[in-house]
Amino acid sequence: MTDTDSATARPALRRTLPIAGAALAAVLLVVVGGTADGGTGAAEAGPTGTTVTGPLCDLLPAGAEPGNPASLADQPAGEALRWIPVLTTFEAAVRATGLAEELTREVTILAPTDDAFAGKFSRTNLDELLLRDTDELRGLLRDHLVAGALPVAGLVAAGTVTTVAGTRLTVTGVGPGARLGDQAETVCADYRAGAARIHVINEVLGDLPTTAGQDDDGHPAH
Amino acid sequence: MLCVPSHPSCLEIPLRYRRTTAGVFSALLAVTLAATAQPARATTAAEPNQVQGLTVVPGDGYATLAWTPVDGATDYQIERTPVAEDGTATGAPVIVGVWRPNRQINNSEPTFADAGFAPGNRFQWWVRARLDGTAQPYSAPVSDITRGHWGDPDVPGQGLRTQWETTLGAQYTDDVDEYAYTSAIDELSDRVRVVEIGRTVQDRPINMFVIGHPTPPATPEAVAATNPLVVNCNVHGNEPGDREACLIMARQLAFTDDPTTLGLLSRTTMLIVPTINGDGRAANSRGNSTGQDLNRDYSLIRQPETQAFVEMVRDYRPIASYDGHEYGNSNTGDLPMLPPRHQNVAQGIFDQSQHMIEGHMYTQGAQDGWWACPYGCTGANIGLGEETILRNTLGLKNVVNSLLELRSSGGPTRPDEGNTANNRRRKTYSALWTFHQFLAYHGANVGAITAARAEAIRFQSANTGRIVFRGSRPIEAYPAPHPGDTPPPLDAPSADQILAQPPCAYKLTEEQYHGARTDGPAGRRTTVAERLAAHGWRVVKVAGGYLVPLSQPERGLVPLLLDEQAAEGLAAGERIAPTLTGTHNGPLTVTGVACLADATVRGPVRVRPGATLIVNGGSINGPVDAGGAAGFVLTASTVNGPVNVTGTTGPVLLVGNRISGPVNVVNSAGVAPLLAGNTVNGPLGCTGNTAAPVNIEVANAVSGPRFNQCARL
Repeated sequence: MTDTDSATARPALRRTLPIAGAALAAVLLVVVGGTADGGTGAAEAGPTGTTVTGPLCDLLPAGAEPGNPASLADQPAGEALRWIPVLTTFEAAVRATGLAEELTREVTILAPTDDAFAGKFSRTNLDELLLRDTDELRGLLRDHLVAGALPVAGLVAAGTVTTVAGTRLTVTGVGPGARLGDQAETVCADYRAGAARIHVINEVLGDLPTTAGQDDDGHPAH
Repeated sequence: MLCVPSHPSCLEIPLRYRRTTAGVFSALLAVTLAATAQPARATTAAEPNQVQGLTVVPGDGYATLAWTPVDGATDYQIERTPVAEDGTATGAPVIVGVWRPNRQINNSEPTFADAGFAPGNRFQWWVRARLDGTAQPYSAPVSDITRGHWGDPDVPGQGLRTQWETTLGAQYTDDVDEYAYTSAIDELSDRVRVVEIGRTVQDRPINMFVIGHPTPPATPEAVAATNPLVVNCNVHGNEPGDREACLIMARQLAFTDDPTTLGLLSRTTMLIVPTINGDGRAANSRGNSTGQDLNRDYSLIRQPETQAFVEMVRDYRPIASYDGHEYGNSNTGDLPMLPPRHQNVAQGIFDQSQHMIEGHMYTQGAQDGWWACPYGCTGANIGLGEETILRNTLGLKNVVNSLLELRSSGGPTRPDEGNTANNRRRKTYSALWTFHQFLAYHGANVGAITAARAEAIRFQSANTGRIVFRGSRPIEAYPAPHPGDTPPPLDAPSADQILAQPPCAYKLTEEQYHGARTDGPAGRRTTVAERLAAHGWRVVKVAGGYLVPLSQPERGLVPLLLDEQAAEGLAAGERIAPTLTGTHNGPLTVTGVACLADATVRGPVRVRPGATLIVNGGSINGPVDAGGAAGFVLTASTVNGPVNVTGTTGPVLLVGNRISGPVNVVNSAGVAPLLAGNTVNGPLGCTGNTAAPVNIEVANAVSGPRFNQCARL
C-alpha cells in the first residue's frame, strides 16, 4: 500500500516556530538557534490583515492550512468555529442551543477550549448540557458573548465589559492578550469571523458549578 | 505494515494463548531507508553512547523508527525536523517522542511510531539516549518523505478523501460527508456493499461496510459462513478518532491492489460500522440523543442504536471484533486494550482475546513502534465486568474481541501534540494500524478463533457451572518491562454475585414478556420479547408464560438479563429448577415442562404434544421421540437411540450431543432449529421445517448421510 504524494494532502510548509511558543509550558519545544524568528506570538498577517494573538495560535491552523485565520474572516461565526479544532465543545454547544444566528451580529465571542470544558464539567454534566439542559447551556454561552466586535486590545482598553447574560467582567492586559475575570485568559485572540470577533480562552466563564472529576470512574471528558 | 501470513513473525502460538518472554524479532525491517543528507559529522566515528543504526520505515500516517539500544539508557528522545528535498531544514526541530522501557515487551530492539505529522511531508529524524536524564549525543540523522493520504488521487475510488483528510485534521468528517463518502465507495467498489443496519433515535442511518474480495457474500447468512470480523468505530460521539480510521480503512480495502490484503478479503468478510452513534457524533456528546451511554446498553438494548448492532451480530455472526474509543488519560500507552473479562464468558473466548491483545498486538506493536497496553493500567476504576459494555456483551456472545482506546492527549511520551491536528492524526493513524493488525491477526488465526468459538458455544449450551452476575477474570500484569505499572482492578465477584446452582430456565409472565416498557426513547420502545429476539435467543411458549432455557449459546448472558439478582436486569424471571437430576429407570413421558440436568434415563423418552423437554448433560438410553412439542432442547447429552423431533411448535435446539442413532428434525413451525456441534452416529434428516435448520458455523460430525434441509450442517 505505497502511496504517491497527494496535492490535497500537502500543506504549505509551516513557518518556523516563534520563540513565544515557549509560553506553552506543557509543551517541550526545542528551538535551536537560527531557526526561530523571534516573533511575539502573533501569527503572520493574512491577506485580509487577519492577525491572531496568543500562545495557542502557533498550534492552530495557520499559513495556507485549512482553517487558517484569513480563511475564516468572511465566514459567519458559527461556521468559522467549526474550523478551530480546539473549539469542538463550544461549537457543538452553539449548535445545540441554536445560537449561530445570534453570532452573525457584531459580537465578541469568548470561546473556551475543549480542555477548558473538560476541566470544568464532568462527562455526564456535559452530556446533560448538550442534550437536555440547553436553556442552561444557552445562558452559559451568553456569558461568553459581549455585544460589539471587540478586538482584544479593545477589551483591555474597556477595562470592564458586560456579557450578553449580564455578567460584568473585568479585563486586564496580559502581554498582547487579556485576562477575563479572575482566571480566564485569551490563548488565541482576534479571529475575525464575519461581523464577529472570536477570542479563544482557557477557562469556562459563568457561574455554573464545577463538576469535572465527578464521574464514577474518574475518566475525564475529552 | 501488514503481517504477511507466511512470514515467521506471523506464526502464532497454537491453541491457548501462552505468554512468552522470548520477545519479538523485528526482522521485517527489510525496507529500511538509507540515511540521506547527513551532516559531515555523522560519518565520523561514533561518539560514546551515541545511538547507532537508526532506521525509518514509513507507514500509513506514521513512521517507525528503530535503533540499536545504548547500554544503560533510561529513555530516548526522538527529534523530528521538516526538511526540503535537499535536506535543508524548513522548520524547527521538535522533540516528538520519548521512548520509555514500558513501551514495548522487548527492550533489546527499541522502536517508536512517530505520528502526528501531516502525511506526505518530508522529515529528518534523529534519536538520542538519556542516562538518568542526561542527554547523550544524537544519532546520525535519517530523512525520508512520509506517505501521503492513502490512494492515488487520480485513480477512481483511491482518490476519495474524507473531510478530516482534506481539512488536515481541522475538522472531523461530519455526517453528511460520511454518507457521501460511504456511498461513493459503495458505488465505485465491487468489494463493498453498504448496508443500513438501523436508524438512530433522530433517524440517522447506521451504515455498515460489508467488504469482501472479489465481492462480499450477498446475504447475512452467507457472510456469516465466511467467519467475518467487525470493527465498531464510534459509540461515544465525542471520541471520533477511530471513526476516521475506519473511513480510511474502508477506502483502502475497497481499492487496494495489495495482494496480501486481497488474499485476506477473499477468505473472510470485514464488517465496519463507522458510526453507530451518529446523533451523539453530531452533538459531540458521549451518549446518544437521549443521553444514554450506548456502551452501557448492549445487553439491555433499550436504544435503537444498540439494538441495531446486536441484531447485526445475530445475523452476520462475526467471530472477532474491536470496539473503538478514546481515553482521557495522558499517562498511559498509545493503545489501551482489554478483553471480555466477565466471568460468564467462556474461558476459551477470554484466552483467545488475550492472545490477540498480548500475543499479537503487544508483539506487533513492539515491532512497529506502537504502545499497546492493558486498559485500566493506571489504577483507575475502569475496565470492569459490566455485561452492558460491548466488550463483555460480545464475549458473552462468543466473539473474540477487544476494547481499543486511543490515548486522547499526547502526554509526556508524545510532547508535540499541543497542536490539535497532530494529536488527532496520531490517534487516528494508531487506530488504523490496530485495525489492519486486527485483520491480519484474524486471517492468521481464524482456525483458533473458530475453534474457541465452537467450544464456547458447546460450553455455554451445556449450562454447567456457576453463574456470576458481576465480576471479572483477573488481568495479570504483563512481565516486566511491559507495559508498566498496574493491571486493571481485579474486580473479582463477591459472594452475593455468584449463583452456584444454575436454574434450568427462566419463566416470564405474559406481562413481562409482551408488556409495554418505559425504558428506551419514546416512540422507539421495545418489549422484552423484541429484545430477546434481537439477541437471537430461543424462547418457549408455555402455559402461563414464556420459558427462556439457559442451555443455549448465549447462556452466560441470560441470567444477567432475566434473574432477579441481576445487577442490571431486564425482567426478574422465575427461576425454573431442574425436575430430574438423578437416575430414572423405565420410560419417561413428558407433559408440561421437564428439565433434566445431568440425569440418567434408562428407557425411552416421549414428549407429549404441547410439552417442553430441556435436557442438559446426562444420558438417555432409549429412543427420544417428541411430537408436537412446544419446545425441544437437548444439549451436552449422550443418547443411545434415535432422536425424532416432529412438528415442534416452538424452538428446537440440539447442541454438543453425542447421539448413537438417526436424528430427524421434521416439520418444526418455529424459528430455525439449531443443530450445532453434535456427533451423530447415524443419518441426520431434516424436512418440512418452516425455517431451515442452522448450525451457526459449528459443524456437526455425522457418520451417516445428511438429508434435505440438513444436508450442509
